[in-house]
Amino acid sequence: MTTLTRQDLNFGQGREAGPAGPGAGASGLAGFLERTTGLCPPAVVADVLCEFLEVAVHLILYVREVYPVGIFQKRKKYNVPVQMSCHPELNQYIQDTLHCVKPLLEKNDVEKVVVVILDKEHRPVEKFVFEITQPPLLSISSDSLLSHVEQLLRAFILKISVCDAVLDHNPPGCTFTVLVHTREAATRNMEKIQVIKV
Amino acid sequence: MADQLYLENIDEFVTDQNKIVTYKWLSYTLGVHVNQAKQMLYDYVERKRKENSGAQLHVTYLVSGSLIQNGHSCHKVAVVREDKLEAVKSKLAVTASIHVYSIQKAMLKDSGPLFNTDYDILKSNLQNCSKFSAIQCAAAVPRSPAESSSSSKKFEQSHLHMSSETQANNELTTNGHGPPASKQVSQQPKGIMGMFASKAAAKTQETNKEAKTEAKEVINASSAGNKAPGKGNMMSNFFGKAAMNKLKVNLDSEQAVKEEKIVEQPTVSVTEPKLATPAGLKKSSKKAEPVKVLQKEKKRGKRVALSDDETKETENMKKKRRRIKLPESDSSEDEVFPDSPGAYEAESPSPPPPPSPPLEPVPKTEPEPPSAKSSSGENKRKRKRVLKSKTYVDGEGCIVTEKVYESESCTDSEEELKMKTSSVHRPPAMTVKKEPKEERKGPKKGTAALGKANRQVSITGFFQRK
Repeated sequence: MTTLTRQDLNFGQGREAGPAGPGAGASGLAGFLERTTGLCPPAVVADVLCEFLEVAVHLILYVREVYPVGIFQKRKKYNVPVQMSCHPELNQYIQDTLHCVKPLLEKNDVEKVVVVILDKEHRPVEKFVFEITQPPLLSISSDSLLSHVEQLLRAFILKISVCDAVLDHNPPGCTFTVLVHTREAATRNMEKIQVIKV
Repeated sequence: MADQLYLENIDEFVTDQNKIVTYKWLSYTLGVHVNQAKQMLYDYVERKRKENSGAQLHVTYLVSGSLIQNGHSCHKVAVVREDKLEAVKSKLAVTASIHVYSIQKAMLKDSGPLFNTDYDILKSNLQNCSKFSAIQCAAAVPRSPAESSSSSKKFEQSHLHMSSETQANNELTTNGHGPPASKQVSQQPKGIMGMFASKAAAKTQETNKEAKTEAKEVINASSAGNKAPGKGNMMSNFFGKAAMNKLKVNLDSEQAVKEEKIVEQPTVSVTEPKLATPAGLKKSSKKAEPVKVLQKEKKRGKRVALSDDETKETENMKKKRRRIKLPESDSSEDEVFPDSPGAYEAESPSPPPPPSPPLEPVPKTEPEPPSAKSSSGENKRKRKRVLKSKTYVDGEGCIVTEKVYESESCTDSEEELKMKTSSVHRPPAMTVKKEPKEERKGPKKGTAALGKANRQVSITGFFQRK
């Protein structure tokens, strides 16, 4: 039985004072997404996670005003309204990025996924960190599993929506990037795979 | 002392946990009546403001009252942010009620999180959702399963009956209770996505809407009061109800604006006397109809762009504003997406004639797309006469490919390449069934051949662009 539970959602104490120096990480939305391997195949888990990350990235871009609000459109996910971008290139970029993350998620090689907001000089001003860890086995019946997961993901969405209470305004002209932190051997394995394919 | 406890609770929720505290959420959480919850929230806001402790609170209010709009009085219910409160209040003729809707630390950009907040707590209390509610009805008792199944059958029959009458409006038949919102939204993405690709999609949508409203006019004449099919008559759905004075538009403002556009069109207003569309508008619109239609055709692109722009603005500027809003005048045609990547900058100001979207699925052999596509243009720089092959199905059911000279935007050539349905080498199909297979083979050959031809065009186009 695969369980997605949210152990803790922490909000940081707010940004470091002053304009962003190099690596001034600022407050993170540290979400712990845990999962157990069990009857639910890892592929499904990876799918759910990727879907959620896509929604989360779009929402972060909307809330932090990285892109003008005109490109966003209200859509429904997990039975609540969320803002998704309609810009095809942006969507494609996000999808491609998460597509690459998916195999790592399946193998549980991902330690955390970080959405970094950069200013004009490409210095990070904000980070949203999604930590992915392996929790102990929990027992939840399969019936309520999906709705439970949905509920937790909804809570994530809600938290992202109100994150600007603890964050300062970003300077204009920000961009974003997605970083994936893998566990130790993962990158080596990926390189091996790539070499073989080529 | 117990009275003060709730203040601490609210303080903890808002300040420490950074939650959105709606009155409904609070009433379930603390187990109090909704009116008491509203009072608690109000009390908390007042105290906090007096203390002036520096922690910034954002408050939203629910305002309801009657509004005189275009000669008709309607009841308006809106959730508004504090900074818009006075403006909304002043527009109401009679303010029936104002109360605090929610308190939060964050400044919300739209109303989504408010719904999110209430969703889970409502879901978990579904059995006793009216326990703390002020809306009560003694006669409202849950049905037995037998009753509910028989009534649902009746509902289906009546629904079928209505839908057969309104078949001309194929896509969006609603019986007043249906989910117009979801259908609206499904149309909407096409418009916005189309804007990214070209103006074409927006045009098609607009033509669809116009066609629907015209068809509606005929149907409405024969249909009974309650039935108001079609997207444009969603307002009438609400008006057609028993409480006719209530105008509670449960839609996003985008849809409201879109409705407004349709309502403005004179065809709708004719047969629905109960509509808020006023008599004045009817008369003037009838005379102005031909002019308006022309203007609308010209401005279609701008309108959709503007409406989307407005709707984004309105979404951001207010929360869940539930009323029909007249679209603002087309004063300034700003670029809808000023900061979007450069490729799409040129498209918004240009009002192209109505073509169909080039992004529609490739295997289509209708004659319209090739000719229409050629004249659409996001990156319209220059028009050139280019030899193009047109594919269509002739009388015998064979697919015929013709080479025709057409004017075409030279920079579009690469994109058109992908979307071209015609193929120079495609043989005429014997049966309709074979079409999809051949199309798949065809474009591969065709695009390769056309690619070479068009690539030259685009290269020269690049130099001529200066």
